[in-house]
Amino acid sequence: MATHNPTQKAPERETFKIPIGPQHPALKEPGHFEFAVDGETVTDATVRLGYVHRGIEKGVESRTWIQGQYLVERVCGICSHVHATTYCLAVEKLAGVEAPPRAQAIRSLVAELERIHSHMLWLGVAAHEAGFDMLFMYSWRDRETVMNLLEGITGNRVNYSANILGGVKCDITPEQDAAIRAGVDYLEERTRHYLDVVQNDTMFMRRTKNVGTMTREQAEQMGVVGPTARASGVPRDIRVDAPYAAYKDFPVNVITETAGDLHARFVVRVNELFETFRLIRAILDHLPEGDLQTRVKRKIPAGETIMRIEAPRGELFYYVKSAGGETPDRVKIRTPTLPNMASVLELAVGHQLADMPMILTGIDPCFSCNDRMITVRDTHSNQRDVWTWDQLRKYGMNAAQ
Amino acid sequence: MQTETLEVKLKTAAKFLDRWAVETTTPEPERLDVVIDATDLLAAVAGMVKIQWGYLATITGIDLGVEDGRLELLYHFCSGPAVVTLRVRIPRGNAFIPSIYEFIPSVSFYERELIEMLGITIANTPNTDRLFLPDDWPEGVYPLRKDFDINEAQTPRNRKANGNT
Amino acid sequence: MDINKTWQGVLDQVKTWARVNSPWAIHYNSGSCNGCDIEILATLTPRYDAERLGVKLEGSPRHADVLICTGPVTRQSRERLIRIYDQMPEPKFVIAVGACALSGGAFQGCYNIMGGIDEVIPVDVFVPGCPPRPEAIIDGVVKLLGQLQGGVSAEPVTLTEESVPAPQGVKPGLA
Repeated sequence: MATHNPTQKAPERETFKIPIGPQHPALKEPGHFEFAVDGETVTDATVRLGYVHRGIEKGVESRTWIQGQYLVERVCGICSHVHATTYCLAVEKLAGVEAPPRAQAIRSLVAELERIHSHMLWLGVAAHEAGFDMLFMYSWRDRETVMNLLEGITGNRVNYSANILGGVKCDITPEQDAAIRAGVDYLEERTRHYLDVVQNDTMFMRRTKNVGTMTREQAEQMGVVGPTARASGVPRDIRVDAPYAAYKDFPVNVITETAGDLHARFVVRVNELFETFRLIRAILDHLPEGDLQTRVKRKIPAGETIMRIEAPRGELFYYVKSAGGETPDRVKIRTPTLPNMASVLELAVGHQLADMPMILTGIDPCFSCNDRMITVRDTHSNQRDVWTWDQLRKYGMNAAQ
Repeated sequence: MQTETLEVKLKTAAKFLDRWAVETTTPEPERLDVVIDATDLLAAVAGMVKIQWGYLATITGIDLGVEDGRLELLYHFCSGPAVVTLRVRIPRGNAFIPSIYEFIPSVSFYERELIEMLGITIANTPNTDRLFLPDDWPEGVYPLRKDFDINEAQTPRNRKANGNT
Repeated sequence: MDINKTWQGVLDQVKTWARVNSPWAIHYNSGSCNGCDIEILATLTPRYDAERLGVKLEGSPRHADVLICTGPVTRQSRERLIRIYDQMPEPKFVIAVGACALSGGAFQGCYNIMGGIDEVIPVDVFVPGCPPRPEAIIDGVVKLLGQLQGGVSAEPVTLTEESVPAPQGVKPGLA
């Protein structure tokens, strides 16, 4: 800091860097953010992740095809089912088998239940960032309904592992059918309330309207995916674009909003819940009869394939290559948070520092998804300034975190 | 209707990329694989951006193995159901590829991943810093190369779990 | 002198009473898949409501009594985990939540994994499961509190080079 000297010309406006994380009260996952601020306004944003980088892509290579499924399921605990589904569908494609229709329908059903759990979780966390803990507690209380349903179907609340190569390992019994319908009815009623809250609550509107606005052009250019893209009016949904599992038989209506701001992202996700409820009922009404599994050989024929799936957060991309052995040759995972994270760093500039947690949660970031491979820094600041911990310590920011 | 647009999309891409294509295959109905030379990569990517064919989903880097002596980069473009993959093969010992950052700025992460995980030199990419590997990771060790021994990088307990003492 | 001793004893009793009745916890994810983290959050929300037991999630390590850790320790987060542990005031307690925090779990053998939490910092309570149910997490906290009530207070631990093994292996020049 320059010493104050009234005779001197005022120095150029200094920006101040605020490091946040990796352990911080707002987000439950480690990520180190750095916001350059001028007063209260953010002028630059960077993020250094890698705290939960575990090396899964290499790990999969040293495991068998079956073990690999359990590892990719743990790329992310929130959306474990979509990771397993993508992996299984890809491996089945390589092996030249197709899971029976009933298995595919159950995969879609569990995926939609997972979408409910993920969106409600996000709604709660985002409300918490807005300082709206009431909504946080409400949505998490209601989320327990869907956790119960998932536990009833698969036996575990999180990391349910409903998939196996060649099908699923759990069936929907008539009792579960009834329980799911009852649960969905209850949640639908509650979701109406949430829609009312996010659309009419004055405090919430002021916190979200015109914050972090992304135009349709920006969204298309930055290649954002999932609800973040749909909130900007880009109708990008893999369930519609390239239907997988049972989505061919159960078509999905794409929910879009045009505003592109934080508020639109809330509305899109809440409206998506209604679409999800409708889908779940449709799948239950027309659940195909038949087997749950087909046999997949231990060795998968050589070849490569690409599988894309609409995860709760957007497009999940898997590239799987087999060399004909018992282990995968290469599994590449591109999770939806990655393209969305780039957009958030762009959007951060020009906003108030206090809006940062909200903008960040607006994309529903998932660091453990990201860090299976990747750490992100923004693209437009070319100078390197990832701080080492020693620098940080000297900076004396420890206590604040 | 969906299949029609798919076919049209793939045909457009195939026709457009034909001038650089060394080899064109359709491994799956919704996919188109185009092998191109590393020198043509920039032109091909610039063209894809110019005709606004989809968006770049990601770049996959593969080590084809020590015997093969090559690395393969796959540039996946997605548009609706269609996936077009530009395949570039570069020698393992002299892994070098130009950056496509000027056409697609969001590519920075993917390129840094390649640098770090496969040891590829990428020219003109704005940021070559370490991305996600820890700060104390040794230089010159690339985890996704096939000759990287996973047992080298472990704590005693992990090594025990893998059956190596 | 005697009166001082008595005072000290009374003060200790009050401290233990306060700590047992309202342990403040800090949560750190050292490489977890989020599964355990959302279950820890679920523990605090209305269905399980750990706050009725006085357990409060606290943002700053400087105010926390209990460190709840999830996930295997990655190389990158190892140093941070030690820092957080160091920043906590004595006496401090650590609960390792989830199979990965116990041993590395599904990620055992991955190149960026140091192993369980106890490879880096001393752990008082282990809660197994992938992820553990919220009931199990509450049970872990209650077990810890029971330990405290019995007058067993954790010995202060100073982290040294020996107690915290540095990352090994990864010989350069492989590629």
